[in-house]
Amino acid sequence: MKKLVAVFVVILLSCAAPGCITSEKVTLKVLHAGSLSAPFEEMERLFEERFPDVDVQREAAGSTKTIRKVTELNKTGDVVASADYSLIAPMMYPEYADWYILFAKNSIVIAYTNDSRYADEINQDNWYEILGRLDVKFGFSNPNDDPCGYRSQMAIQLAELYYNDGNIYDDLVEKNTNLRMTFEDGTYILRAPNSEEINPSDKIMVRSMEMELIHGLDAHEIDYYFIYRSVAEQHNERFLELPPQIDLSSADYADTYKKVQVVQSSGNIVTGKPIVYGITVPKNAEHYELGLEFVKLVLSDEGQKILDEMGQPPIVPAVGSGNVPQELMMLVYQG
Amino acid sequence: MLERSKLTFKMSQEKTILIFTLLGVIILAFIVIPIVNMIATQVILDVDALIKTAKDLSVLKSIWLSIYAAFLATLIALIFGVPLAYVLARRDFWGKESIESIIDVPIVIPHTVAGIALLTVFGSHGLIGYPLSNYIGFVDALPGIVVAMLFVSVPFLINSAREGFESVDPRLENVARSLGASRWKAVCEITIPLASRHILVGAIMSWARAISEFGAVVIIAYYPMIASTLIYERFLSEGLSASRPVAVLLMIVCLLVFILLRAISARWKRYDRD
Repeated sequence: MKKLVAVFVVILLSCAAPGCITSEKVTLKVLHAGSLSAPFEEMERLFEERFPDVDVQREAAGSTKTIRKVTELNKTGDVVASADYSLIAPMMYPEYADWYILFAKNSIVIAYTNDSRYADEINQDNWYEILGRLDVKFGFSNPNDDPCGYRSQMAIQLAELYYNDGNIYDDLVEKNTNLRMTFEDGTYILRAPNSEEINPSDKIMVRSMEMELIHGLDAHEIDYYFIYRSVAEQHNERFLELPPQIDLSSADYADTYKKVQVVQSSGNIVTGKPIVYGITVPKNAEHYELGLEFVKLVLSDEGQKILDEMGQPPIVPAVGSGNVPQELMMLVYQG
Repeated sequence: MLERSKLTFKMSQEKTILIFTLLGVIILAFIVIPIVNMIATQVILDVDALIKTAKDLSVLKSIWLSIYAAFLATLIALIFGVPLAYVLARRDFWGKESIESIIDVPIVIPHTVAGIALLTVFGSHGLIGYPLSNYIGFVDALPGIVVAMLFVSVPFLINSAREGFESVDPRLENVARSLGASRWKAVCEITIPLASRHILVGAIMSWARAISEFGAVVIIAYYPMIASTLIYERFLSEGLSASRPVAVLLMIVCLLVFILLRAISARWKRYDRD
């Protein structure tokens, strides 16, 4: 018996040593934003089909952290994809990259179900009036904790400008919480109090993360909530798209989005900007050429189809910035 | 010869105790080191933040809310759990094992899942929440916190009370009844007092478990914020340095309550033996 155990242990140990499990495959490291997990899982599958001797390893994290892995933590990545394109140039240029491509976007939408009150009435022109009705409950995530949370606040404030109705934010948010939007030097600023002081009324459900609101909708506790389009799509929820002037989806309205700021309780200041995904291959990538192949896949028709299905509509044609490599030029519009 | 074997016996026994103590110290260190490290780091590096936190009204409110809601949950657990424990200890019936397993389920399932299940049932459109919606609201309210705490903590009370009742010889009850006491009186005056230490220990465990709950509570009632939610919140929005003082304060308060209750239950033990 003892002998058997010993043999077993030896076999286990020898397997743990390199050689038993790993073959001669090349490892391609793709570092990407958390919200790209669903589409990039598909991309990985496709890529490994096309390049059978490459093993794609994906690492999902917040966008800032994803970039810092390369620039500060000495990690080599062969592809970097960020949920905020505007982080790439200031954080990676010129040492770690000198180009990036805008390839997909996301937006803030209002998700609901067939059972939500007034579900068959809601549209782009009356949503704020419906959310304001006495018997309607809605939710958003905590602006102190979650980018989706502060982006929802920005969208509601931008609605005031777009619909030319100065009461939208007051009626929906200020009446029901301790969140207050102020107007200072041409900018709308929300100074969020500590989370325990947000104090929502019965009408509003606040949760730390956007994912937690899904349960509120499923249990019919709320009728509507503000969420990323991709999340609503991936959970098969019905959703109302908002006009591009307020849903933070389009680089064309970057100047409009800039008018809204959120100061989180930690003191961190975030300014409204489009939710556009950027991708690049770092200069110090171990497999630069394969990294470019992965980017090509993301920009290809098949890649675009995947992004579309996951609720992160591709930008067609993709927009390049900086010294975009020759072999990608065909796929992008140089902006 | 006899002496010698006695000596080896004694020595080998000492050896056993020594090995057990050594192993015990390791697991004790495993519990103590993180706790002491956390408290010490706070006190040594940033005692000012701790003092500031101790004066922060919203922190004190959340700690009080945790203690109070856990107390309510334990009270409800006592009222409904102790009778069930008695029946389980005294009667054998078909399906008893399944009931005992069901009681343990809240310990096993992930807390978030428990929270979702509770929200679905106690929400304003839920099976229980809907008929009660005109009288009591559970979502983002105290009753929701109590329900979540009760769900995860009641098994500890029931199990402990059942063990207590099982340890009381049924013949004692029978004697009392043969002397003319009703069953109700026999249970109240003989069995429950004899099992009281088990019930108290169960109540302490259940209360402690309720205070520590986070995952289930945060789904059904993010507001008003209990201490564990506030700690999580501070960690997310401002980082470890903001959340640690709250955690340390909660630990100190709970430790004091624990020591007090343990002291009470230890005196009870002496009374048991007499």
